[in-house]
Amino acid sequence: MSGSLGDDLVGRRRFLTSAVLGSVAAVTGASMLGAITPEAAIAVGPAKLAAGAVDPDFAEGRITGINGNVLLVAGSDRTLQRIHVAGATSVWKLRTTTFEQAQVGDGLYARGVRLGDGTLAADAVWLNIVNLDVRITQIASRMLHLDHYGNRVIGHVVPGTSAAVYNGTPAVSDLSLLQVGRHAQVIGAWRPDTSAVDISTVYAAA
Amino acid sequence: MTAPEPRGELGVNPLTPFTSEASWFCCGAAWGPCGAHGGGACGTCKSGSMQCAWPNASAACFNETRPDTCGDGLARLGCGHGFSVTGVCSGTAISVSIADCGPNTQLWCGEQTCCNGTCGTDRLIDLTPAAFSAIASLSSGRTAVSVHS
Repeated sequence: MSGSLGDDLVGRRRFLTSAVLGSVAAVTGASMLGAITPEAAIAVGPAKLAAGAVDPDFAEGRITGINGNVLLVAGSDRTLQRIHVAGATSVWKLRTTTFEQAQVGDGLYARGVRLGDGTLAADAVWLNIVNLDVRITQIASRMLHLDHYGNRVIGHVVPGTSAAVYNGTPAVSDLSLLQVGRHAQVIGAWRPDTSAVDISTVYAAA
Repeated sequence: MTAPEPRGELGVNPLTPFTSEASWFCCGAAWGPCGAHGGGACGTCKSGSMQCAWPNASAACFNETRPDTCGDGLARLGCGHGFSVTGVCSGTAISVSIADCGPNTQLWCGEQTCCNGTCGTDRLIDLTPAAFSAIASLSSGRTAVSVHS
């Protein structure tokens, strides 16, 4: 990446790392930077990795504890992770939100910078996010019944948040064009330990 | 906005770069609805690895995804084949290798995602969460990518 945006973001990433490492001045500065979009965090780019390699700057799993601004996470592969969240970290849970919405039991994906002590300084955290290829089997009031590879999933429509994208057109809040029997892609937030999700965006053909 | 590029040569020359849509999928050990996916068609897929799904990873795979019905003559490339993928919006480039079959291209013929005047048409590659999140936000669900082998 070239230009000032890239330079600013690289600087921000260094700043975020410094904040996690405990500099009082840096912590103050990180809070002043405020939350950014995931896109901006991602634009910094990952370290160059070989195809197929495990990405050390990425983590996934479920939250087992929250200690201050640190998420304790049990990876699905049983690795244990500590993920630092700062004021500048982008947090998503059905929508862009704040760290306070994180709860024990939430699933997550996180991207950031792996520090020397093995912890991750997070640029972006996605809580409970799912991306499901489904077939719509039934449409009810504020609810979609979905078939996800033979598993039944309930998709809850969240007024003011859930949106539909029909044929690649801009997202709209009107979900009335969805049709039973059609396939769709659902971005949503899983309700932990259930077969239900809250719908963020449905991609479908009209 | 640029017109969709012709794709007829892809099946002839797997080195021909192309621009398409990409989404993400989970695999390997996972939580929630992803828990049942397993290691994918290649048996090696992990959400935390820089990997991808390809619609023509085998004859059986091709018969499920049928990219040809969208006019996309993708070459048959097996498990472990590497690609360079660049996010059209972010400009970030990553390297990924085939670890699963997908996306189900035939379900999304003609769908476009555009950024900076460049459009990705049809879903011709899916990325693991680690790979996708390196070039776009997972919450976007889809993004335009340029791909070369």
